[in-house]
Amino acid sequence: MSARSKYSVPFLHHKVIEEHAEMLLGEWALEHPAIAEPPVPIEDILELGLKLDFEIGDLRGTLGHDDVLGAIWFGDRLIKVDQSLDPTRNSRLLGRYRFTIAHEVGHWRLHRQHLMNDPSAAMLFEQDGTPAFVCRSTAKPSEEKQADIFASCVLMPRRLVFEAWEEWRGSRDEVALADLAINPDDEIALDAFCRPLAERFEVSAQAMRYRLEKLELIVKEVEPRLF
Amino acid sequence: MSNDQQHFGPLVRQKRLDKGYSLRKFAELVGVSPTYLSLVEKGKVERPPTAERVRKMAELLGESPDQWIALAGRVPEDLNEIIRSEPEAMPELLRAAKGLTAEELRKLARRLEKKRDEEEKP
Repeated sequence: MSARSKYSVPFLHHKVIEEHAEMLLGEWALEHPAIAEPPVPIEDILELGLKLDFEIGDLRGTLGHDDVLGAIWFGDRLIKVDQSLDPTRNSRLLGRYRFTIAHEVGHWRLHRQHLMNDPSAAMLFEQDGTPAFVCRSTAKPSEEKQADIFASCVLMPRRLVFEAWEEWRGSRDEVALADLAINPDDEIALDAFCRPLAERFEVSAQAMRYRLEKLELIVKEVEPRLF
Repeated sequence: MSNDQQHFGPLVRQKRLDKGYSLRKFAELVGVSPTYLSLVEKGKVERPPTAERVRKMAELLGESPDQWIALAGRVPEDLNEIIRSEPEAMPELLRAAKGLTAEELRKLARRLEKKRDEEEKP
């Protein structure tokens, strides 16, 4: 996902972003049943937990870009998702729909305070009714990459992924692509492998694959162990 | 769009959130797409949802279906048929009742029901 970059945001390490995601899930669990298994109810977290306004509509038409997925207005506490992602049009869109919501929630949690506190940004801040971030499917400024990482961590929390992996594979051991006879460049085969877990987490197979690679559950080859 | 209709969307949203339904979940229960429900909540639809759908929304949220149908700018499904069954007398009755308070109308309705019950007794 990408954006027109109105403002610059500071560098955030992956680990810090993951902590932010875990913190949000922790806050949710204070007032709601803790999330014991996937999928993470990101739509409930958005509307019932964070109490943000939420809309699905024609963002592409109103913002004039044909690759817009979502947008956020900090001042109005509003997140919008483009109607092209409505999963009732096609159930295969569910993962992208949820990821876009989680991505916008990522902007809310990671970037809102920074932009609100930046006087130069505040001068420009959503004065013309345009969103703070317009998230598109091409090009990736750093704040968009950060929001993607947040979305990945919040929809696929480390603990739930390891538990689901163990249930699926029978152990927490990583899998080597060589053992599965999958070429590391063969994204279609990789996604097909990840699909059963992706369906449980209600994310796209590609998003699931990135997360499994990040958590080193899918590796090119298994490192020899000392013991 | 009437004043009531402008209030209908935000009311649906508030009551939906009070009951703990996400937009997509509630849309699924009502039988509409979340995009459509979102437009309804924001008052961006050209025509209000059908009386049948408004009834479903009200029932799910524990609200009065007839009141919500009126707020949405629709007429309950059975009324058209009732009026058409007596195309002259029924509008005449409604016009005669116009201006009565809700309480007076309820009393009148109860009297009519009682009268009908008595007539139906063997």
